[in-house]
Amino acid sequence: MEIIRLDKISLWRRTQEEFSYDLKKTLLSILEGKYRKPAKNLVLDRIDLSVSSGEKIGIIGANGSGKSTLLKIICGILQPTNGTVRVRGTIAPLIELGAGFDPEISVRDNIILYGVMLGFSRTEMKERIKSILQFAELEDYILSPVKALSSGMVARLGFAIATDIQPDILILDEVLSVGDESFQNKSKKRIENFWNNNTTILVVSHNLKFIQDTCNQVIWLNKGKVQIMGSADEVIQCYLGSVNKAM
Amino acid sequence: MAFLFGKKIAGLQIQRYWGLLHVLVERNLKVRYRGSFLGVYWSLLNPLIMTGLYTTIFGTTFASYYGNSIVNYILAAFTGLVVINFFSASTNQALSSIVNNGGLLNKINLPASVFPVSMIAANLFQFTVGAFPLLVIITLVNSKSFVNVMALLFPFTALILFSTGVSFITSALYVFFRDLPYFYELVVFVLWMSSPVFYPAAIVPKHVQPILKLNPLLPIIESLRQISLSGKLPNWDLIINSFISAIIISLLGWACFKSLRHQFMDLL
Repeated sequence: MEIIRLDKISLWRRTQEEFSYDLKKTLLSILEGKYRKPAKNLVLDRIDLSVSSGEKIGIIGANGSGKSTLLKIICGILQPTNGTVRVRGTIAPLIELGAGFDPEISVRDNIILYGVMLGFSRTEMKERIKSILQFAELEDYILSPVKALSSGMVARLGFAIATDIQPDILILDEVLSVGDESFQNKSKKRIENFWNNNTTILVVSHNLKFIQDTCNQVIWLNKGKVQIMGSADEVIQCYLGSVNKAM
Repeated sequence: MAFLFGKKIAGLQIQRYWGLLHVLVERNLKVRYRGSFLGVYWSLLNPLIMTGLYTTIFGTTFASYYGNSIVNYILAAFTGLVVINFFSASTNQALSSIVNNGGLLNKINLPASVFPVSMIAANLFQFTVGAFPLLVIITLVNSKSFVNVMALLFPFTALILFSTGVSFITSALYVFFRDLPYFYELVVFVLWMSSPVFYPAAIVPKHVQPILKLNPLLPIIESLRQISLSGKLPNWDLIINSFISAIIISLLGWACFKSLRHQFMDLL
């Protein structure tokens, strides 16, 4: 079954540098007749993609080639300028774990807050508090504010919440190692579980070996375009070839 | 079939929006009142102290406009201050809400409008446990009628609509213009001084009065005073007047927010 479909996705984004965030300046420049429309960059260029459920897809490419942006389009965080996106099922974005935490309120409240933001209901989250804390090994901290936790603990908590339920689509942006050695093993196991099940996985990584070992399809993005797409070995070879040539 | 499917999705979206609103308001209030003994009642302190201050300074001078009664002056000042306070507190907090949560909007797919709305809702909660009971008592004592108590909801619905509309506009514009708070501070000050909160409308020169009528908060304050202080049954003309500007501003705000929404992400 097709679970993600992108049709001719293009995205133009404003370049932030030359934009004046200033009402006074903008009004003055309009009065002087010097106002220019802000410049825009083409970040993604006519990308087509179709993902069936259960596929594991790796996305590779140089920095700034639009990998994370593509993931954001699939998550619905960014709207494409042209083209259509269709996604079926729940998405668990593992992009910067713990981004939704409020440091002032308790771990318990944060679990509910973060869970609701990820799209679960409050009652659902209340039932899950226990298993989440257990996995994150933070049972003793349930009432302390998140600012009292170490950064490793915060990442553990974020991982535990986002992966407590098996999502239909898992989105990974280079966040595979969280916390200390023992937690890393635990989280790896959980991800591997998803990998063995029917979860659809999209992963952005610079670790080519990891991609080669775990993904059955690989996309090479180059300056916002799909350079090639195909089996892992083939695409990675091409990619390495072009990188070596450039050197 | 497609229609039913669409309906189900809309239902889910409303559910999600409501859930988000709930957790955001809860967080907001928890952060604001953590560790403070009087908690939510701090928000009452501001209008009470201001009323006391105005009464001390202007009370005796202006009492003649209020049937020679200082009590009437106090009540008029208090009802006006409650409205202005709600408006300025909620819109000021909503103004920065989108930008402050920009990081979040970049990581998780969320409906952006939930942030300004949650600020209004948090202030509404404060208001319901703080100033509203006082207003109910004032209304009951003055009118001895539950109709008037129920009618209090009308000017407040108008106030909420108006504040939400303004919040949509300012929170969206703040994404583009980060010096907006300075301008907005001025706007609030003008609205505040031009509403007859601590002075009687009659002292304003005749030819200036029509200009003051342009203040959209004025009909809301007038309707609230008529219901709570006059002792007469609610005046429908005043209520309808207060709704007209509120509905216009809220629709305008929503349209402005919607048309700018797709540009937010480039600047957050």
